[in-house]
Formats: sequence, C-alpha cells, structure tokens
Amino acid sequence: MAHWNCISALGHIAFAFYAAIVLVGGVLAVSSRSLVRAMVGLVISLFGVAGLYLLLMAEFVALMQILIYVGAVSVLIFFAIMLTRASADGGEGTGPGRRGALRAIPAFLLPTVLLVHLLFRYRVAGADIPKNIPVADLGAGLLGSYTLPFELISVVLLAAIAGAVLLAFEKRGTN
Amino acid sequence: MNPLVYYQTVAVLLLGLGLYALVTRRTLVGMLIGVELMLNGAGLSIVAAAQLTPTDAILGQLGALLVMGLAAAEATLVLAIVLVVSKRFGNASADGPRELRG
Repeated sequence: MAHWNCISALGHIAFAFYAAIVLVGGVLAVSSRSLVRAMVGLVISLFGVAGLYLLLMAEFVALMQILIYVGAVSVLIFFAIMLTRASADGGEGTGPGRRGALRAIPAFLLPTVLLVHLLFRYRVAGADIPKNIPVADLGAGLLGSYTLPFELISVVLLAAIAGAVLLAFEKRGTN
Repeated sequence: MNPLVYYQTVAVLLLGLGLYALVTRRTLVGMLIGVELMLNGAGLSIVAAAQLTPTDAILGQLGALLVMGLAAAEATLVLAIVLVVSKRFGNASADGPRELRG
C-alpha cells in the first residue's frame, strides 16, 4: 500500500509540473508584447498539454499533439507572423492598455468562473486510473465505427487547402 | 478530489486564457494564438473525460484527433485570410477590415 501511495504522489507531482508548464506558456502566449514570443509561449503550452496526454495514458494523442500542433500549426503561425509583419513586434507593441485589459476581464472571467464553479459543485465521478488502449484499436475504430468522421475530416482539410490556395493566389494581370 | 476535476480545471483555464487573448489582441495572428489555446483546452477536456470515465476511450481519443485536424485546417485558412488582409490594408491589424461590402 505504501508503494501505491508513492506512485500516486509521483503522479500528482508530474501533473502539477505539466499543469504549471501549460499555464506558464499560456500566460506568456496571451501577455507577451511580441508575437514571436507569444508563439513560443503557445509552443511551451502545447508541450505541456502533450505531457498531460501522456499522463492520461493517451500516448498516440500525445505524439500527434507534438507532430501536428508543435510541428505544423506553430510553423503556420510563424509564417503568418513573418509574412505580415510591418514592425518588429508585429503590431502588438502597445498592448491592450489598462482599459482594454479591464474590459476583457468579464469576457474571460465569466465563463471561466462559471465552469469551474459548476465543476466543483457537481463533482463528476471519475476513475483514478486512466484506461490504456492500444493504438491498433484506434486504427480499427477509424476504419470501423468512426469511418464517417474520418472521411469528413479529409474533405474538410481538402476544402481548407483549396480555399487557402484560392485566397492567397494572386492573379497575374489583375492589379 | 478525483483526477478528472484537476484535468478539467486546466482545460477551463486554457479556455479562459484563449478568450482573454481573443479579446485583447489587436492583430489577427494574436487572435489565432488565442483560438489555438482554446482548441487545446477542448482536446484536453475530451481526452480526460473519455480516459477517466467508463466512456468509450476510442471515441475520446479519436475526437481529440479530429479537433487537431480541424485546428490545422482552421490555421491554414486563417493564414490565407491574414495574407489577404495584410496585402489589402498594409498590416494584419484587426482594425482594418471593419466594414463588409455586400
């Protein structure tokens, strides 16, 4: 039993570590005056969420989080910063100001406080140990019960790529 | 206290941070960073709820993967829109495209 308590304490420490990474990265991402630093904060936060996925024994989702978010989405955001910046800070140098930050408080505090309150009031019963399912089952699910969303997301991605090319493509001769 | 409450609290805090960025940022790229934070919170919430309750865990993990795919598609489109806006208005500030022309 002492052994089990030790493992449980280690799990709590690991959770606190990853949650701290997520929150520090998130605060950096929303408060930094420079967009590149904000993107670095987002990447830190994404790595923290990948660690939380690992703690939840969803190792495939954790790997995909690093591949897709850290590898692809952050590079896209970096391209967006680099292709559009007119000044060194990317246009965020002045910050929201005191009034802007005050006005933003109800926008984010209201849903956050409401949801946390509901969460602690109706304490959902959850297990202590997460389930671990093999990756082969995930693949079987994609080709079995969940084929329709799998096919639909490929259509959505195709539409997004086609739309992006169409939007960003500059016709020669019009201008 | 069970672990699910902790995970959901982190997810809600990510949602709050993303909303704050969405409201206070002046540029479209800063707002995109806020949206990505919120989508991450959603994925974390889905996976935690599926892994720690008797729900089908495959459903939860595939749902999180679908959220990631949608986030990638959305980031692609936003990149294209930001390019168009910055080409037309000179910068990527959200103050530029304020009027719709129908």
